[in-house]
Amino acid sequence: MNDNMINQSVKQLQSRMETVLRGKPEAVKMSIVSLLARGNLLIEDIPGVGKTTLAYALARSLDCSFRRIQFTSDLLPTDIIGVNIFNQETHGFEFRPGPIFSNIVLADEINRTNPKTQSALLEAMNEKKITVENDTYVLPEPFMVIATQNPMESHGTFPLPESQLDRFLLHIHIGYPDPEFERTAVVERASFELLHTLTPVLSKAEVIAMQTDVEKVHTDAGVVDYLMRIVEETRRHKDVRLGCSTRGAQFFVRAVKANAYYEGRDFIVPDDVKTLAPLAIGHRLILRTRKTLSDAETIVRDITERLPVPL
Amino acid sequence: MPTLYKFTTALLALTGCISLAVTGEINPLMSISALALLPGYYRFIKGERHAGTALIGTLSVMALAVFVFDALLVSGDFFIAVAHLTITFQALKSFDLKEPWDHLQVYFVSLLQLIIASELTSALAFGVIFVFFMLLLVTAMVLSHFMKEGRMSGLSLKKPVMVMSFLTVVVTVVFFVALPRTPYRFLGKTHIKGIKTSGFSEQMDFGSLSSIKLDPSVIARVELSRDFRGPYYWRGHTLDHFDGKSWRNTLKDRRRIYRSAADEFILSDYDRAGALGQTFYLEPIDSDVLFSLEQARGVRADAYAIYVDTAESIYVPGKRSRRIKYTAYSIPGAEYPGSVEKAYIQLPSDNKPVADLAKSVTAGLRTDAERASAVERYLRNSYTYSLTLSPSAGGVNPVEEFLLRTKKGYCEHYAAGMVIMLRSLGVPARVVTGFYGGEKNEYGDYTIIRSSDAHSWVEALIGGSWKRFDPTPPVSNEKRQAYALVWDSVEMAWARYVVGFSYKDQRFALNYLATNLDLRRLPNIFKPGQPGMKSDPYIIPVLGLFTLIVYLFYRLWAWYRGRKRYGPLTSEYVAIRRMLAKKGIRIAPSSTSGDVLSVTRQYHFNKDLSEFIALYEGARFGRKDPDALIKKADVLLQAIKKSGLR
Repeated sequence: MNDNMINQSVKQLQSRMETVLRGKPEAVKMSIVSLLARGNLLIEDIPGVGKTTLAYALARSLDCSFRRIQFTSDLLPTDIIGVNIFNQETHGFEFRPGPIFSNIVLADEINRTNPKTQSALLEAMNEKKITVENDTYVLPEPFMVIATQNPMESHGTFPLPESQLDRFLLHIHIGYPDPEFERTAVVERASFELLHTLTPVLSKAEVIAMQTDVEKVHTDAGVVDYLMRIVEETRRHKDVRLGCSTRGAQFFVRAVKANAYYEGRDFIVPDDVKTLAPLAIGHRLILRTRKTLSDAETIVRDITERLPVPL
Repeated sequence: MPTLYKFTTALLALTGCISLAVTGEINPLMSISALALLPGYYRFIKGERHAGTALIGTLSVMALAVFVFDALLVSGDFFIAVAHLTITFQALKSFDLKEPWDHLQVYFVSLLQLIIASELTSALAFGVIFVFFMLLLVTAMVLSHFMKEGRMSGLSLKKPVMVMSFLTVVVTVVFFVALPRTPYRFLGKTHIKGIKTSGFSEQMDFGSLSSIKLDPSVIARVELSRDFRGPYYWRGHTLDHFDGKSWRNTLKDRRRIYRSAADEFILSDYDRAGALGQTFYLEPIDSDVLFSLEQARGVRADAYAIYVDTAESIYVPGKRSRRIKYTAYSIPGAEYPGSVEKAYIQLPSDNKPVADLAKSVTAGLRTDAERASAVERYLRNSYTYSLTLSPSAGGVNPVEEFLLRTKKGYCEHYAAGMVIMLRSLGVPARVVTGFYGGEKNEYGDYTIIRSSDAHSWVEALIGGSWKRFDPTPPVSNEKRQAYALVWDSVEMAWARYVVGFSYKDQRFALNYLATNLDLRRLPNIFKPGQPGMKSDPYIIPVLGLFTLIVYLFYRLWAWYRGRKRYGPLTSEYVAIRRMLAKKGIRIAPSSTSGDVLSVTRQYHFNKDLSEFIALYEGARFGRKDPDALIKKADVLLQAIKKSGLR
């Protein structure tokens, strides 16, 4: 693996996305990290800060198919995965693939739909395949779900159960952009219009190759120990009822590897772990008191500020 | 193999050979092979091929053959021959350095050379070389240790080597002070030839002193217990028998004196309060005699026993060619009785012309004392002092020649002439050899006695006691320049405090520490006016030095432990974190490299630091070869340190 090559592809993708999403390098970075780690991304933030734009920008910068599903309270599982329809000419059932059969799927406002529909999506996210009646359909590669949810509106929403939140690799916030960028964004053309000008910089094959490379990133035992200590600490923390699961730790390692790759390294360092810890395991914790996701992230940050890093 | 390491080995080999050279006991012809060291190590450092095994083997066998020949015939001294052999081996080895083991051999041979040199000399120059050798050896050991571990980083070695060298020197000093002392040496035989002082041998040939009189070598340095106005007659031994050609000592009767309960050799009872103590640091000379101002009454010396002959000359058998420190006690100006011995009125046959001269000089005088003074005056006033004499024809009585014909001579002639004249008059007399005067060194308050101060004078038995006469006219000595005197005071200090460091000094040092380093008084240091502060101003620097040493040991240990735990790049990274934290930048144990970089964003060194961290992480977490990165990392580290962390 050549250091320069790593950087070039990632840098291209990043700069392409930033032509649309100005002043949000962290959000852009994390979306790329999710993609590299074959993970799904959950974006939680207030409306109007560019959640949907981010998903669009990523999809448009890649030579991949993209579908957006607007989740509503009356959305059915079949609206997502597809349905068997009786063909009168052939006298048989025929599968009509739903919007899930895309490389990148934007599940907008995922908490607006009922748990049944949510689980249909989450199963696809986990297994990367769909089973309808007795037939199994493999989802295209690369496959990534970007879900967004709105924390402020609680009326008519179905919050994602923690076990299902666990399926997401990273959970990020976008936040308001820096004042100067926001100013430009307000005066100039809306980002949404700019999206149509985006052209892909990476092909599907290139994305898959990068994902394969990420798996080869070297994990030093000392750094893994550090990561596992963080995970254990979440299970021991007094405000946490249920800490990070083993799958959560697996996802965490994948995210850390992808972050290292993003930074142009073929090995992970403690800084990767510390940077990603709140984003990768915050949403997996079940707190004793009913608190928001931000509280869980604060707990993770506290833990990483307490644990000594390996030198 | 790093050049620094090669260079250190070369320097060690050279130091070993130089240490032998400064002793002055080495035969230049037998150690000519040392010349091969320079091309040998030049080739080695340049990385050229080492010589063939067959050639080295043949030469080694030849060297052994030469060694046998040397030991039996040339030097005649096994010890010196070994010294020559080590030089040859060093030279051969310089062409044959292949394995790391070969370097150890060089160190070992160098050490052997230093040990041999230490037996051959006790000069100050050797002390300097020894310290230098220690520093080199420590450097070489540290280097070889890191080479064994397969890690070398030029940057991180300087400080530990310096600290370790400093500690080694300190530890050496402590060992030197603490090592048990005995009054007797380990090796029975000495290999130092000693300064030629033929005037003090059993026999005195005329002319032997003339060459000595021009030699400025330091024979002894003397500290006096109290002021003494002089004259300074440093008495050696006496000569009684003149056979017409040369003087000899025929009174072989020596009595042995044992050490008294007070650790002193008492020759005759004396009043201790009025005695003048003279502490001698006597250089190796080729005689067993001890010197003192006039007759010594008591002697303190590190010896089993001393011997005294009938003329009150003191001998330490086996002292010959050895540096010795002793204190003689005498009462200047005191008379001491003597008895008429046949030897003191012995005359050569056919002494008539001299006897006639003596009678004419002393005509009309009644007492022996008057006669002796008249002879002394006569010789002083009517004869010419000269060191350059044409050798007299064989078979001629030199005393007669001096007194009656040439009338030119130096102390030997004057003293011998006076003794013969006195004996002709029936007054018992003898020649005394020793030193006269000496040079007072203001820098250190002691007297330097040089070879050129050698002198001979006369003792005559008048009225039952021995009186001193000096018929030689006074000669003014050249004055030495101040810097020479300052340098001599350094050599005196070396002789006094290093070579002469004795059991007594040890006891004194311990006593000093025990009485002054009273820990109960320690808190008083900070209360002015209390005992502890006032009683000893040295206690603070001493404690300071002690603390520094403990601290340095701690740092060295911490450094070594860090090395072991972290490896080269990581320990540097840890050091940088510590430096930043000291500067007030928030670095916690939980701070990752990213945190370190983000809190130092506004500093100039941030860019270098981020490059360094990339290298460090590559080596630490990324399976990259640290040795390949160290050079680059060193450059970055230097830049970071140079920036002054701004």
